[in-house]
Amino acid sequence: MATFKVLEQNNPRVDAWEKVTGRATYAGDVYLPGMLMCKTLGSARSHARIVSIDTSLAEALPGVRAVITGVDFPEIRFGSGALKDRYIMARDKVYYIGEPVAAVAAEDEITAEEAIGLIDVQYEDLEPVVDPLASLRAGSPSVHPDLENYEGYGFTIEGGNICTLLDADRGDVDQAFRDADHVFEDTFRSQGINQGFLEPMACVAHVEANGRLTIWASTQGPYQVRAQLASVLNMALSNIKVIPMELGGGFGDKLRLAFEAFPALLSMKTGSPVKLINNREEVFTQNGPRHPVTNYIKTGVNQDGTIVAREAYTIFDVGAYLGAGPNSGIGHGLGAYDIPNFRLRSYAAYTNKVYVGSYRASGVADMTFAVESHMDMIAHKLGMDPLDFRLKNAIKEGDIAVNGSRVPRNGLVECLTAIKEQLGLPKELPEGHGVGIALCEWRSGTGPSTAAISVNEDGTVSLLTGSVDISGSDTSLASIAAESLGIAMDQVIVAKRDTDLAPFTGPSGGSRIVYSQGKAVEMAAEDTRNKLLALAADRLGVPSDALACADGSVYVQDNPPQALTLGQLAAMSVTSRSGPIIGNASLSTLPYAPVFSAQAAEVEVDKDTGQVKLTRYVQCQDVGVAINPMAVEGQLEGGAVQGIGRALTEDMQFDPETGAVRNPSFASYLMPLALDLPELETLLVRVPSEDGPFGARAVAEPPGFGPPAAIANAIYDAVGVRIRELPLSGERVLAALRGEGNDIAYIGDELEELKRAEGLSV
Amino acid sequence: MNKQPLTMTVNGHERQILVAPYYSLLDTLRDELQLTGTKKGCDEGDCGACTVILNGKAVTSCLVLAMSARGAEVTTVEGLATPDALHPVQQAFIERGGLQCGYCTPGLIMAAVGLLEENPQPSAEEVKFAIGGNLCRCTGYTKVVEAILLAADRMASLG
Amino acid sequence: MLRFDFLEARNLRHAISLLERHGDESRVVAGSTDFLARWRQGFWRPAAVVNLKGIANLGRISYSPQNGLRLGALATVQSIESNAQVRRRYQALATGATSFAGVQVRNLATIGGNVCNASPAGDTLPALLAFDAQCTIAGPEGSRTLPLTELFLGPGRTALKQGEVLTQLTLPAPLPRTGSLYIKHSPRGAMDIATVGVASVVTLEEDGRTCRDARIALGAVGPTPFRATDAENLLKGQELTAGLLAQAAEAAEAAATPIDDVRGTAGYRKAMVEALTRRTLQYSLQMASGRAMPFEEQRRLAVQTAF
Repeated sequence: MATFKVLEQNNPRVDAWEKVTGRATYAGDVYLPGMLMCKTLGSARSHARIVSIDTSLAEALPGVRAVITGVDFPEIRFGSGALKDRYIMARDKVYYIGEPVAAVAAEDEITAEEAIGLIDVQYEDLEPVVDPLASLRAGSPSVHPDLENYEGYGFTIEGGNICTLLDADRGDVDQAFRDADHVFEDTFRSQGINQGFLEPMACVAHVEANGRLTIWASTQGPYQVRAQLASVLNMALSNIKVIPMELGGGFGDKLRLAFEAFPALLSMKTGSPVKLINNREEVFTQNGPRHPVTNYIKTGVNQDGTIVAREAYTIFDVGAYLGAGPNSGIGHGLGAYDIPNFRLRSYAAYTNKVYVGSYRASGVADMTFAVESHMDMIAHKLGMDPLDFRLKNAIKEGDIAVNGSRVPRNGLVECLTAIKEQLGLPKELPEGHGVGIALCEWRSGTGPSTAAISVNEDGTVSLLTGSVDISGSDTSLASIAAESLGIAMDQVIVAKRDTDLAPFTGPSGGSRIVYSQGKAVEMAAEDTRNKLLALAADRLGVPSDALACADGSVYVQDNPPQALTLGQLAAMSVTSRSGPIIGNASLSTLPYAPVFSAQAAEVEVDKDTGQVKLTRYVQCQDVGVAINPMAVEGQLEGGAVQGIGRALTEDMQFDPETGAVRNPSFASYLMPLALDLPELETLLVRVPSEDGPFGARAVAEPPGFGPPAAIANAIYDAVGVRIRELPLSGERVLAALRGEGNDIAYIGDELEELKRAEGLSV
Repeated sequence: MNKQPLTMTVNGHERQILVAPYYSLLDTLRDELQLTGTKKGCDEGDCGACTVILNGKAVTSCLVLAMSARGAEVTTVEGLATPDALHPVQQAFIERGGLQCGYCTPGLIMAAVGLLEENPQPSAEEVKFAIGGNLCRCTGYTKVVEAILLAADRMASLG
Repeated sequence: MLRFDFLEARNLRHAISLLERHGDESRVVAGSTDFLARWRQGFWRPAAVVNLKGIANLGRISYSPQNGLRLGALATVQSIESNAQVRRRYQALATGATSFAGVQVRNLATIGGNVCNASPAGDTLPALLAFDAQCTIAGPEGSRTLPLTELFLGPGRTALKQGEVLTQLTLPAPLPRTGSLYIKHSPRGAMDIATVGVASVVTLEEDGRTCRDARIALGAVGPTPFRATDAENLLKGQELTAGLLAQAAEAAEAAATPIDDVRGTAGYRKAMVEALTRRTLQYSLQMASGRAMPFEEQRRLAVQTAF
């Protein structure tokens, strides 16, 4: 491992002091003089025509300053990604229970709340579609009858509720299945999941007299919010400034426009600043969660355990709108394995439920549950050790990944080996105990990234990027700048940014900040260093390649006392020919850099209650280089706990008749607590990536993928029952132990329909 | 329903304010006293983000009627540090990486402070029970527990 | 969420007169934990709340062999959980209290509030029932007592009349050779509403084998928490073999009439009554037989922690 001065050290977070003292300012902490409070009215119906909305009583209530409904916005459809399928507020129809139909600005929250209760909406009910499998069948009512006319629509299939298809193919799959010694197929179902960030959606909007709109936002993507706001308000982009405040968790759900347009329009109407904070019920019922996903997987294997073919179909419920875009989980239908022939399909279907949002590598956790459970089942049927079966098929350097890229050097095998050693696998455990493993794969996220570094007269540097801090990314970026420039961490000032000030950057999500934004910072630091060296060369009268930059100075390598500090150089630069020193960089995409993680769970199953006690959780991830090991471990631990919640207790339940969320609170949507967890064991493998900053890889997404399959596999090892539906609740396990139920819907008929529609043989 | 006068001691200072009778202690701290370090995560007592110390006990301030805190002593996250130093719990959270997004952090810190006032030498299990009412979605709790145990050790050695 | 007025009760008589004056328009609050959460959901819409929290001497906890355990209605759930006498003599109550929400809510919530909310899933209620708690109720016509079994009429409904306030719960002193435990079945170790809760109390005869008395109370499997008397009767006067405990557990299961909801199906709840009744009886029997069980161990059993 290379030696570093800043990286690989447990430096404190750059924002730690603000956060432990309560000084960090989140959007809800913004209080402006004369500020009004906004509340929204959610639809009481799942699918209905709006006949009329009477707001007169609300408007007459003392303290109410403005009421808006959908028709107060320009008639402009917007959407996430290509398909524009929704209005910002319901106009003539509602598509799910909770969909905003009106908003109020009042002098205080309780008045706004009272006014909401005075709005009278008359609906004419339409037949709702709730089950995504039913929505595929011929004769199902249409959620969006006008779908074909929506901008961006590019796919058509009978039934009308399918809005997107993602597909990938290689080789002759059907022939490979015919030739295989064994063919196995299974269907898995994962549940609805809420992102569970602790900070509810919040924003403050203020329109100045000159028409300029400022938004104090809780967002991962300030530039995306700016662009979408400009679109739905039909405003010039340049008339909007988005200030991303401290972010109290987003996990993908705050990548896009939420409800910022409501206080914005209310501010235009009243001239006052307007604040909107969702209550927790609104977070559950109005902001895109993840819906249940059905994954069908079929694998052809030869007698020696070599996988020769894979088919995977995902039926993805998007709810009322394609909020998060198509389900990318299908791209992970091969898992971390080299499979020569495959057919992968993901169909997205509309239903009358809250629209789907993004969540920490959307769809991949669902797919990993399916793939890694299926792998375990095959290993057992072949009589192979589950770990050996995985090793045998593991993708290697030089193989071609599902996306067509050559697989570069990576630490997959090292991760599996580390897990094996940590747990002493294979191992015998006492009665009722079991161990299970899962292998997870992801790629380092990329996308447009920019950075600028200026050098101050005291030798510190100011780092400006447009990316919002999530999970300590500001600390990582500061570390990369410090390492590159040979200065200490506390010599880097990370500027608080807004969309007026900072250069355009892609959103903070998909594990892209350290890999791509970090690369931009590394490149900007290089640019800065080159400029420092050039100036020093000029002033010291030596060629710049004779100089080095370290410990806050530029010095002559053969004669270190001959040096200029960064502060001196900054001061000199002001009057130099080339002017003050500022280094810049931008990039659009970086090459494919996979991320692998091996995870293992040990469980104890209570045969009387079915309850699964997680007694041990071990994970090992190839992080390339640990920018900050403490922060990396924190990411891995937090991610694993989200996955453990997904495995065992979290379950967003929807009413089968209306699609309404049945458990919209933290008292009924059960995220893990400290009491529910063993001490997590976190191991790091370091095989540097080829293109990431200092060899770093993405970190944040894979830890959450493994727990559902690792725990399901451990349950099988413990008590011999296979649960194919999440969560792995006591009720489900007990039913399986008693030989009752536990079978999930057979989706063969639907698949045959889909295959016929595509012209494939069935 | 006019605002009513309320006197309480917040972070060592006596405060006299007017409060709506239906206001929670949490809303009072944030809206009336500009102490926004205490966070609202659910307003239902289910997440612990609003934890403050009320008359020596850790409580969810969203479930306290402000008027019922008449004459009470309240400590919030803003009241822990002295001008010279952070509270040992705050310092330990920084050093052990016990925080990420930071939204649950004030509540976790106050729950820890509440625990250490009653039980200065807790076991890891006792720490987990003491923060059993605090949701954190980022850290996975391992480093939070470590931080609280470190703070306990340091406070014990300081006497 | 509608505005309400705040009325401070200076003493019990004042509280009763405020409640009489404001009638159905008012709502009693003490810890206010349940009230504020459900007021925000629009469930409670009182014009005024009457705050009892300021009434002196209504939160005392005392124990004597003659009078048993007296819990003032304002005693917080946490103060009951950490009371040495409760932990020593009323293990099911200590474990019921410890499984209630989290410490920050337990520091606010009062035992009187938990009882008067009359939730079928209230965590302290099965233990109070299993220890034969008596309610002391003050009202416009003076004070009366009522067995707790007669207080609960349905979910959220009690036998308290207009203007009445629950002031104290009295639990007789357990006989020697008594053990008890509450186990809460829920997916997490804290903060959950019970899917099922079972409290058992077992007292042995001097021979150390024969059951002198057994009391079993079930939560979250009927409109109110209730005593499983058929199951109790199977045990009284008998030697407590594993087979007999299993029979009693089946009788308790038969008495349960749960519903399906987000926390579980009726069928699963019934199965949990069987499992938890058997377990609470086993552990109660162990404690009654003289096996000391530290509170930490009881707590792990009660909330089914991951460690």
